[in-house]
Amino acid sequence: MAYNSTTVPHHHHPTTSASHSHGGGMGNMMMHMTFYFGFKNVELLFSGLVINTAGEMAGAFVAVFLLAMFYEGLKIARESLLRKSQVSIRYNSMPVPGPNGTILMETHKTVGQQMLSFPHLLQTVLHIIQVVISYFLMLIFMTYNGYLCIAVAAGAGTGYFLFSWKKAVVVDITEHCH
Amino acid sequence: MHFIFSNEVVLLFDFWSVHSSAGMALSVLVVLLLAVLYESIKVGKAKLLYQATVGMSIPTSQLTEETDQDSSSSDSPPVSRIRLRWFFCHFGQSLIHVIQVVIGYFMMLAVMSYNTWIFFGVILGSAVGYYLAYPLLSMV
Repeated sequence: MAYNSTTVPHHHHPTTSASHSHGGGMGNMMMHMTFYFGFKNVELLFSGLVINTAGEMAGAFVAVFLLAMFYEGLKIARESLLRKSQVSIRYNSMPVPGPNGTILMETHKTVGQQMLSFPHLLQTVLHIIQVVISYFLMLIFMTYNGYLCIAVAAGAGTGYFLFSWKKAVVVDITEHCH
Repeated sequence: MHFIFSNEVVLLFDFWSVHSSAGMALSVLVVLLLAVLYESIKVGKAKLLYQATVGMSIPTSQLTEETDQDSSSSDSPPVSRIRLRWFFCHFGQSLIHVIQVVIGYFMMLAVMSYNTWIFFGVILGSAVGYYLAYPLLSMV
């Protein structure tokens, strides 16, 4: 009858570490699966980028914060660039049967860009940059490091606050259906 | 790594470890409600912005005229109060945006647990949330 209470909390540790070694068998055995706060031996995105001290963690926090802010700014900048470059508006009308057998003319308005124009190419390049940065932010959040996750969230909030402020004042008073 | 059907998972935090089918059902329900909340926050943010701009559409046109000229107009106290109100409204929107970003990442991490039940909960929650929330976007 040697049931110690100390065996109970230790019970789930072997199972989680077993699932770690199964899941992380492709090289990186130190993958965390829950949130933790720490700054020792934190690998960030690239193989040479390892955080070992508090100073390096502070630098990484600032860099991730600025990256998340840049991502929000890039989203707003792409929207305003798209709106500015949409100059070609095509109207085409087509007859549509209405009530009581009458025929109504329904007008469709299409806004668009040409495929090989410079604004569209610029939009494509910015889109690629936006996709890459969004995947980087996802991978940073996937390290499960509490400090870095807070940096991502705070950077996104600050970027939204700073860049969307200007956009909301200038744009939305003129366009109701946004 | 591949999707598995299992009643054992550790989700997001150390204390959220599931061992039984009842615990798994509860976890799937929590994840589902989180996904519903995510979709409704997206709709809520757009509606909030629309209501804020409609609520002060006339005063904000005066606001942009004031920033063009350098002089202070005769009715500057109401304009500064409107600016303050706009600042608080936008600050609240930024907080909602932070919550939306964090919940989005939590859902990504939940799917990353590679547990099929949790994955179904996320997908079903997104579907239910979209179904319930998006009609509210066109309603004024």
